[in-house]
Amino acid sequence: MKKHVMGIDFGSTTAKAVILDLNGNLVAWSVAHMGAVSNAAVDQAVAEVLAKAGLTQADMGRTVSTGYGRRMLDIADKNFTEITCHARGAVAMVPEARLVIDIGGQDSKTIAVDSNGLVAQFAMNDRCAAGTGKFLEVLARAMEIPLEDMGELAMEATQELKISSMCATFAETEVISLRAEGYSKPDVLGAVHQSIATRTLGLVNRVGKKGPVVMTGGVARNRAAVHFIEKALGMPLLLPDIPQIAGALGAALIGLDDWRIELGKAGETLDEDYHVDAQMTLDKACVTGCKGDPAAAANPPKPGKLQSAVGTIQKEL
Amino acid sequence: MNAPVQPPKLPGAANKLKSTRMAGKLVNEYWEMVWRAKEEGKLVCWYEGSSINPFLEAADIVWVHGEAYSAMLAARHQEGPAQAAAEERGYSRELCSYARTHLGCAVNNQRHRNGSDSAFADVPADEDISAKLPPPDMIISAYAYCSTGQQWDEMTSRLFGKKIPIFNVSIPWIWASGKDAGYCRGKEWEETSVYVARQLEEMVKFIEERTGKPYPWDRLRELMRNVKRASELRLEAMDMCTARPAPATLFDWSVSIAPINQLPCTTDIVDYFTKVRDEVAERVRTGEGAVPKEKYRLFFDGIMNWNKLGWLAEKFAKYDAAVVAGRYTHMAFWQEPDLIDANDPVMGMGQNYLICPNNHSSPILIDLVMGLCEKYQVDGIVFHATRTCRAFTNPMHLIAETAHSRLGLQTSMFEGDVADESFYKDELLNTRVEAMLEAIDARRLATA
Repeated sequence: MKKHVMGIDFGSTTAKAVILDLNGNLVAWSVAHMGAVSNAAVDQAVAEVLAKAGLTQADMGRTVSTGYGRRMLDIADKNFTEITCHARGAVAMVPEARLVIDIGGQDSKTIAVDSNGLVAQFAMNDRCAAGTGKFLEVLARAMEIPLEDMGELAMEATQELKISSMCATFAETEVISLRAEGYSKPDVLGAVHQSIATRTLGLVNRVGKKGPVVMTGGVARNRAAVHFIEKALGMPLLLPDIPQIAGALGAALIGLDDWRIELGKAGETLDEDYHVDAQMTLDKACVTGCKGDPAAAANPPKPGKLQSAVGTIQKEL
Repeated sequence: MNAPVQPPKLPGAANKLKSTRMAGKLVNEYWEMVWRAKEEGKLVCWYEGSSINPFLEAADIVWVHGEAYSAMLAARHQEGPAQAAAEERGYSRELCSYARTHLGCAVNNQRHRNGSDSAFADVPADEDISAKLPPPDMIISAYAYCSTGQQWDEMTSRLFGKKIPIFNVSIPWIWASGKDAGYCRGKEWEETSVYVARQLEEMVKFIEERTGKPYPWDRLRELMRNVKRASELRLEAMDMCTARPAPATLFDWSVSIAPINQLPCTTDIVDYFTKVRDEVAERVRTGEGAVPKEKYRLFFDGIMNWNKLGWLAEKFAKYDAAVVAGRYTHMAFWQEPDLIDANDPVMGMGQNYLICPNNHSSPILIDLVMGLCEKYQVDGIVFHATRTCRAFTNPMHLIAETAHSRLGLQTSMFEGDVADESFYKDELLNTRVEAMLEAIDARRLATA
């Protein structure tokens, strides 16, 4: 009996992979950053997660993919969109979440989830890269600083500047102009992150502002982005420990439900107490690192007891 | 969850109406007639927006509808030379692509016919039909809501040396702020109807000045009898698409815009919509769907992406999604034939110009869209946010919000354009539509 499943988020700038066991325990995860929808990156992410787990692809009962390159993977049994997978992954990580903000490399999205964990409504950025990780990458290059240092530098901002353009290309021109006028890097970076927050608030308003709010995607690791978005929302953000893997985790959970049903049909004995979302919460894989106080947010359900209706539905596969 | 929504792979999934094939022939014959206009000594009028063509046709003036020509070029993937010419002349890519394409036609027309721009003066290549439009002898500007419309006409006039007489018909926005206001009712409606009709009477005098002949009112009445009947047949056929599976989709109705909107108002258009109505009725009788495995029913809010008409028809069909109605197709184009008195048509024509789907205040617009969503029992709304037509895009978030809160519908928005293919990115649409369909699946299972 194959005792593991894999979820792969083949994103626009990074590839993420997650392996779960049959009880939904996080066995291993990986993130590879190698360029736009890069086959090399996804190969690396898969190889790395398998190596960490001490398993091979043949040990996977199901492999489900998501992300921009989700259809390009021969090893995937099924693929689902980022919306479905991020909602599933985020709710598994933070069961009390009612709104998911995901800022990835090329997309930013907000997903309202109802009390059953179902996607109630979603909004995505248009084709422009404004408010995405790509926006930050472009401006990091313009500022000649490493991407990973942007957030910390921006937190040192002492005055409020404004970058009015949402277009990455025009914003780059504005950033260069501000620097030429003598403004400090932290102040300009503060404005860059403020513009991301403004864009995100617009997306949030399209699906309705409601808490608790969880933020996923690589940009959730950027302290300034989180700070400015919280300020714009007027609400705290719940941050998973590994925010980049929400999509891959969601894909893996969908695969897990599917695989468990198939094993059940085949007469295999499975843990009857298995509840995916409860399991993830019990693992504390993500909740311990959460920032903010979920209880202080609007109408949070009791943690650990949310039996996601998505999970129920997945079992109907 | 159901099986994941898969991307389109197989060709020919859309079971399009066969009767609409006639539209292609009629459209070709019409444009051939337009291209011959000068050889035949006809006067030519360029106009955009409202379908004033019956007024012109009655007076034996050849009519050129700017959007129609741009849409035709885009649908044939021949819009490139015109758009390039417009951009070379300095018209921004952010300008309405209908206008930009049509202005490009004017630029090419001038270059090829007059050699006014020696750097580009040339004989047009056979396949380049952007330069084939006959230059206008008059321009009539009669645009509801669109702020670009009048500027477009003014720019056209400039391109032809400011020598072309222009007549302007003001079609006011319907505020609907009075207590008695509603769709086609209330004091404001009555007043604006009279206001537009009075201008149309003046427009007829302008036409008489151009032709030097008394206006042939009997001919207009005859043409409007055909328009009224064609419209009734079209709406009758559309109404039958409440059936499951839907016998026709928005893409069939998009193909049928030209026959109702700008082709000659002869009995040909009555015959066309009779055949369409009959085919739709037969499909309802036999249970034949426009999407063979109809699983989802969607509303399409947005102008058609003409470069992608067939492409989108196939894409949605392959998702087993029947796009059963839309704001563009179901709320425009002589959509209120009962307002037209063929014996005294001017008032009813003006009123149909007033109810352009963009020309309503948001509460009326939203109620109309919600009414269609309920009538056709849709599962979700796809919004085509037209990059260069923000007029149509402006209320989309309001519509989406109401659709979600009032009807519990899933919505999804993608960016594209009416005639500029470069604004459309396929994967953006795929992801957004698939996500919406996955959410619909999940909701169905949860409530099953």
